[in-house]
Amino acid sequence: MLWQKSWVETRWRFLIGFAILLVLACGIVMQYPAMRRLMPLAASVGAGTADGRLARAIEHAIEVQRDYRGFVWYQWVSQNFAHTWVLFAALLGSGGLLARSTGAGALFTLSLPVRRRDLVEVRALTGLAELFALALVPSLLIVVLSPAIGERYSLADAAVHAACVFVGGAMFYCLALLLSTLFSDIWRPALITCGVAVLMAGAEAMAAGGSRFGIFGAITAESYFRTGALPWPGLLVSVAASAAMLSATLANVNNMEV
Amino acid sequence: MSDVLAIETVDLRKRYGDVEALRGINLGVPAGSIFGFLGRNGAGKTTTIKVLLGMARATSGAARVLGIPASPDAVDIRRRTAFVSEEKDLYDSMTVEEIVRFTASFYPRWRSELEQRYRRAFDLSPNAQVKTLSRGTRSRLALLLALCRGAELLILDEPTSGLDPAAAEDVLQALVAHAAADAVTVFFSSHQIAEVEQIADHIAIVDRGRTVVAGALDDLRAQYRRVQFVFDGDAPAVSFRAPGVVRLQRQGRVLTLLCSGGVDALVAEAHALQPVAIDVTPVTLKDIFLDTVHAEEA
Repeated sequence: MLWQKSWVETRWRFLIGFAILLVLACGIVMQYPAMRRLMPLAASVGAGTADGRLARAIEHAIEVQRDYRGFVWYQWVSQNFAHTWVLFAALLGSGGLLARSTGAGALFTLSLPVRRRDLVEVRALTGLAELFALALVPSLLIVVLSPAIGERYSLADAAVHAACVFVGGAMFYCLALLLSTLFSDIWRPALITCGVAVLMAGAEAMAAGGSRFGIFGAITAESYFRTGALPWPGLLVSVAASAAMLSATLANVNNMEV
Repeated sequence: MSDVLAIETVDLRKRYGDVEALRGINLGVPAGSIFGFLGRNGAGKTTTIKVLLGMARATSGAARVLGIPASPDAVDIRRRTAFVSEEKDLYDSMTVEEIVRFTASFYPRWRSELEQRYRRAFDLSPNAQVKTLSRGTRSRLALLLALCRGAELLILDEPTSGLDPAAAEDVLQALVAHAAADAVTVFFSSHQIAEVEQIADHIAIVDRGRTVVAGALDDLRAQYRRVQFVFDGDAPAVSFRAPGVVRLQRQGRVLTLLCSGGVDALVAEAHALQPVAIDVTPVTLKDIFLDTVHAEEA
């Protein structure tokens, strides 16, 4: 029944995230016909006007989005999906874990005949299950809706990108969870986690050619999109960081005195 | 009531950084008793309870609850114990029905018939959100969740704190009725002397993290006496060799002592001072509490 507690604590954040991602997924699919019509115009703009970094970015965007698979990857996986998912990973990881704020029930929880380890494990697993649903279901919706506009998006691509977002981004959830053992409110862990994500994304974007071990490189899985190779280094870094942060969370909760 | 102790602590100490919250708590709570844990705000009552339930770790000393050493890992203590915190800490995000079902799931001996009875008696609406409950209703819900666990030991931290007199009376009556019907041990902290006197059969008074008085309430009432010596002139500045003097006050011609026993020896010793009158009177729990606490201050 600890599952029920974790679910009740996080259900609104999950449901809001779920609704937003489903709407975004629908929007991506429905936007494609218009995008296809604009593509020749975009190509001429890209070729004629700019130079330097901006020109390369425009050319890259146009080149990637020449087909539907590229459009979905560029607009959905590497932008809307990744950013929104990471935001909700931070929100779902925040609060609830023996939080001492009013109404969180830390004393009530600790009076129950459960081990602290169980509290942390159930809370972590509930959040990860919610995040997995946030990763997979909207991606599957794209697969289901694509035939409506005469396109096809493969189930394998949807599943692989969802898995990469989930595994790569799990470390932000674990960071928020860890911060929740240090702060009694929801907002500071969420804001700090989002801040860390923005800094990491910025650092990866600045790094020439990107880093093989970059978390956002793993989340967007550009290597898979281009060559079919999974971004293993980044995924492994995320898994290792997540495991370390979960261990630290458990240690903090075990040592916590309310 | 048996000789078995439901709670036993020996020289329990707890330090938070530079602050010594507990400086030697010694308790023996007989199984089946209603034990009032009396002390001023900040005396160490809540910290003691947290150590007993494994929510905080003792710095030194020993604590056993139902024969089990208290620690954060002592799940068995919490399986056999029910706790109500001073803040009536519950999950605001749940409804009454959800938190009742949630709590019941952890206790195989959950008392469903009692749950139904208290739901009716406390007028708890199942669909009401916990966060919307008034302080009184929240206290009643917290009490229901504690009483229905089928626990051998109830630990309540300031159970009537913040309640109006009618709600406080409801809570106290529910506690007494439950303790009488199920022969459970009730250990409750309070700074309200009247309510401790109303329902407790054993008490401990703590002050500044130390146990200063403990025992059966009737024994303490029988044992403690106030002795007043009146002199012709100003009362002499004396100290007594006889044991049991808790507090000594001089005021003009009157020397007043609170003693925890040995009144005869004290009176005999005082005869040498040639008082003009000696008066020995019984004391209330309030007298014992105030005098021991003030003696600690002195």
